[in-house]
Amino acid sequence: MAEKEKVYKCLNPVGMQPPVKTFPLATRLENLEGKTIHLSICGEADIWVPMEKKLKADYPNINWTLKKRYHIVPMELSEEERKTTDAVILGVCW
Amino acid sequence: MPYLASLEKEGIPTVLINFGEETGKVEHDRTLYGIPKLRHIVASRNSLGGVSEAEILVQPLLDALTRPLSDEEKESGIWAPNEPRILFEGTLPEAEEFYNQTENIPGILDAPFSKYTDGLPVVIPTEERVAEMLKGTSHKPDELITLQHDMELRGFGAIESTNTRKKGDVINFMPMYRTATVEQVAVNAVMAGCKPEYFPVVLAIAESGGGTGDGRGGGGGFIVSGPIYKEIGMNVTNSIFGPGNPANKTIGRVGSLLWRNLGGYKETVTTITTLGSPITNGGFIFAEYTEGLPEGWKGLNEEMGFKKDESIIMTGGMGMGEWGIGQQNMPGVYRSLQRTGHGAIARFLDVKGIPGPHNYLEYLTKDAWATRDGGFTLVMPTQIAQDLCDYGFKTKDSIYEWIWKKSFEPVSKFRMRGAQDFITNGWLGIEKTSGKHWKELPGDYMVPAGGDDPFDSYNILLCNMEETAVARFGGGHGQVFSIDAWR
Repeated sequence: MAEKEKVYKCLNPVGMQPPVKTFPLATRLENLEGKTIHLSICGEADIWVPMEKKLKADYPNINWTLKKRYHIVPMELSEEERKTTDAVILGVCW
Repeated sequence: MPYLASLEKEGIPTVLINFGEETGKVEHDRTLYGIPKLRHIVASRNSLGGVSEAEILVQPLLDALTRPLSDEEKESGIWAPNEPRILFEGTLPEAEEFYNQTENIPGILDAPFSKYTDGLPVVIPTEERVAEMLKGTSHKPDELITLQHDMELRGFGAIESTNTRKKGDVINFMPMYRTATVEQVAVNAVMAGCKPEYFPVVLAIAESGGGTGDGRGGGGGFIVSGPIYKEIGMNVTNSIFGPGNPANKTIGRVGSLLWRNLGGYKETVTTITTLGSPITNGGFIFAEYTEGLPEGWKGLNEEMGFKKDESIIMTGGMGMGEWGIGQQNMPGVYRSLQRTGHGAIARFLDVKGIPGPHNYLEYLTKDAWATRDGGFTLVMPTQIAQDLCDYGFKTKDSIYEWIWKKSFEPVSKFRMRGAQDFITNGWLGIEKTSGKHWKELPGDYMVPAGGDDPFDSYNILLCNMEETAVARFGGGHGQVFSIDAWR
């Protein structure tokens, strides 16, 4: 057999993907009235400063809490804080 | 994303705001963290921002927290992609076509992207070639890539944290958190064109995470220190950063293949970069020349706690891609300065007519931190190192300290630096030299623009060259990994 017709087994350079268990999203809120919604802010003050003002002005019956960081990795809620938080808005990040 | 996933898992509904070109990355990451269908709202980088953007975003955000879940959003299961060991069977021309295939990535990229390579053709990883590569190490083909010694991982600025990692910890390649065996690294080493004798260096690169960083690693930059450079024929002389030397070129290239294949890097799909770097593009590696060190100066291996006869790599991910436009001088002008005290730099230093040694660093560091913070590495020929030693720098540490002190400036000026809002976390943290809160410091308090620590921020490496030229790039001392552990 000519060399260029020889059949080779060629190996895979791709690494191994650890399996991931997927889970359903948390049940959504029936309404926002009186709820505690946490704003987890990661940079982009151009967007967040007016949005925070608007949320607080337009929805005064929501208890707004907030943690701010100048980085894409957010400041997390503590275990204790999670117990009293109904929902979280996070951004701007990925 | 791991934070969002943990909240959703605990029953706290969330919604994410991301920018448009990050959507692919968001969709990808949600799978990695087990979320079948994430709720996210796209903000615009191009809008006017401010009130008008808030008007657009608020209602969809609140709707995402209250709209009942769809069936798809309620799904659970296992995501477990599986890759076969043998990827392709066929003739070499057929294999070349297969391994060099591209796919078009829609969206902002809208360009072909190589499926298994860095964009250049590769050596086909036949079973025979991979078996030959594996002869370059005593480690078993099915052994997982793990840490070979305990180490501290250092963060910086706002993401500052120190993690201790233990020998035996499995290495995850980013952005997909994949793991790999010695054989899978060998496949990539063959593809890059490496020889079996280079393989311990390649495995040390893999142990470092393979230049994948947090997923935006760019293939990484690596520095070799120790006798292995001579054994495998790395060029440490003229054109140390140039083409032509197989070891420098092919080992460096492995970084980008590991990023692509082990890490799963796919631009705008699995990660988002900015411009990339022309330096680490394709991977980048060079070795230091320690034989010409002035008396009292240590090689990188000894500086990092290893012995002179031990070989290591240092990851240059702290800024090696930032090849700054800094000082400029003709090599002859440097020689005139030191030999007779003539020429432009002699005039700059006001030592006209006085033979050296003179402190060339004064010239080299002039305005070095004008609008760029942090430290840098200098790669210099033996003569310049000897001149600095003769001038009075009897150790490398004394130079790191001197340069670092030169970088001090008042807080009032420091606050105008473009990276510091981020690095200081909006000036909410503690300034290190004073131990005080940033906001307590008066405007005239002096702080270093050139990094937090002299040793971490600066590095000096030698090359074996007579021409008196110096190269400079961002970052100082990074993390080191033993090459000998992988022999």
